[in-house]
Amino acid sequence: MTRSEQLKQADATLMAEIGQDQLRHKIRKTERRNFLTAFAFFAPALLLVGALLLFPVGYNIYLSFTKWKKFKGYDQFAGFSNYTKLASNHAFEDALINTSIWVGASVIFPLAIGFFFALVFRSVRGEEAFKSIIFFPKILAPTAVGVIWFYFYAPDGVLNRLISLASGGDPVDIGWLYEASTITPAIIVTFVWQTVGLVMVLTLIGLAALPRDPIEAATIDGASNWQIMRHIIVPLLLPTLLVVTILSVLAGFTVFDLLWVMGSGYPGKRSLSLVVMMYFEAFQKSSWAFASAIAVVIGMVVLAITWVQALLQHRIDRMTG
Amino acid sequence: MSHETDIDFDAIIRAESARRPSSALRLTGAIALSLLWLLPFYYLFVTVFKSTEEYASKNPLALPSGLWPILENATAAWSSARMAAGMFNSTLYGLCGAAIAVFLAAAAACGMTRFQFRGKALWFMLIFSGMVFPFQMYLIPLFFTYNSLGILNTHGGMILFYSAICIPFPFLVLRNYMNGISREIDEAARMDGAGEWTIFLRILIPNCWGPITATFLIQFTWIWNDLIFSTVLANRESTRSIMNALQSFQSSYSVFGPNTVLTAALIASLPSIILFLILRKHFMRGLTVNTT
Repeated sequence: MTRSEQLKQADATLMAEIGQDQLRHKIRKTERRNFLTAFAFFAPALLLVGALLLFPVGYNIYLSFTKWKKFKGYDQFAGFSNYTKLASNHAFEDALINTSIWVGASVIFPLAIGFFFALVFRSVRGEEAFKSIIFFPKILAPTAVGVIWFYFYAPDGVLNRLISLASGGDPVDIGWLYEASTITPAIIVTFVWQTVGLVMVLTLIGLAALPRDPIEAATIDGASNWQIMRHIIVPLLLPTLLVVTILSVLAGFTVFDLLWVMGSGYPGKRSLSLVVMMYFEAFQKSSWAFASAIAVVIGMVVLAITWVQALLQHRIDRMTG
Repeated sequence: MSHETDIDFDAIIRAESARRPSSALRLTGAIALSLLWLLPFYYLFVTVFKSTEEYASKNPLALPSGLWPILENATAAWSSARMAAGMFNSTLYGLCGAAIAVFLAAAAACGMTRFQFRGKALWFMLIFSGMVFPFQMYLIPLFFTYNSLGILNTHGGMILFYSAICIPFPFLVLRNYMNGISREIDEAARMDGAGEWTIFLRILIPNCWGPITATFLIQFTWIWNDLIFSTVLANRESTRSIMNALQSFQSSYSVFGPNTVLTAALIASLPSIILFLILRKHFMRGLTVNTT
């Protein structure tokens, strides 16, 4: 290679590098400009969400480590004492038991009944009208639904009257919403009545999206209804069923309005669920720090459920996918 | 389609319908279930037409003897539960909160889908995470922050909060939808000298009209039905929501019988019922993607 050739090559490399540099610089500039424009579009939403939702979450976690009660202890550090206090609290224990009942019931009943309804109403004559009737309670406010059922369950209400008619006429006056043993099951019935329509519609959407071929093939091969259900429909419906289950668990775990309205005459109100207990401790007893700790516990459970859903979703996606 | 003709569809349909429970049986079951589901509504509708004495003296499921008591019930409920203020407030919160939220969510979704930049997933998660925490974690901090800012029990404070909490869901829906809209249209508009803002308002929004109205409707209904945030942040007669007014009326019912309180519940639910009757299909499809 002669000297002049070498020089020429060095020259070319240099030029290329400058070009690349300019190019890189230009790309970075466009990206920066892109980001600034995009930021202008999403900044207002981010500001509102950050200030009114994310900041309170952080603040709540902080408060749960203070001694704040009534007007004192706002700036006193309490360590984990609010959390350890939970473990020895009777109301918390009862609330935890009731909440577990809620979670268990909201896994089983909406799903089982909703699935059954989907099978009954699918392609029956007048399907749309039936579906609308079952779905209708869902569009009402839980507050209004709670008010209706509050009187439905009243000692002189509809349910007792029906029981009395069925059992031969003796008057019945059970206070369904005043007894510790009946109030939770009674409100769960209301909850199921209101939410089953949603589960049914989701299941019907899932059923409609199922591929016809495997079912037809199995029918031709002489598989029984139960076999088709067990080996084809349920596995194919698994993603839908997962979403539905998680939705109703989260709804059952955090139900507040129904409990607050229907439990308005119940003396042990605060032990109805964790969510009610949190509200009660905060806004009726002013135990701010203690209530914040309950809120953190509720938040952790909700995040755990969401996390489990993400894991299962991932597995199902891999299985089907 | 020709290759399908060698499958005997009629035979399949016949085989399938033979194995299904007969349609008459299913129809009977469907009717029975619907009637059972309608029982609480039947109770509601016979009760609002009864006077207090009539309700107390008769079977709660008996038909009313006249229709006129509903006027008295409605007037009593309307004035004693201070429903006028509640209706006005909830309409204001619902319209403003949902409109601001959906508009800001659409703008954010536009920013997330129309531009390439680094760290997009993180920014997305920040806005979306407003949807994963339970409401209980917001209550105490908001109550005290609102109190110290002096916006507790104000219309402005409530609109501000409802606007914020209604952003994440429309944001998620609109982002997915906008991802599917071709970028060629906005490229063409950009060539013609349109600014980003014009592209957003004139091209993206009209193209997303379906999901925008659907999410607006969902968020409006959510705000209308909300009880807990109104109880915590606006527990005054002048600023509380309709559901808060209804709940207060119910828990102090000693003076009024079930007939009056149930009339109040019916009045408070009328907007939802009317919306449902008009937009039934829209609702059943739209609400199915909502979480609460």
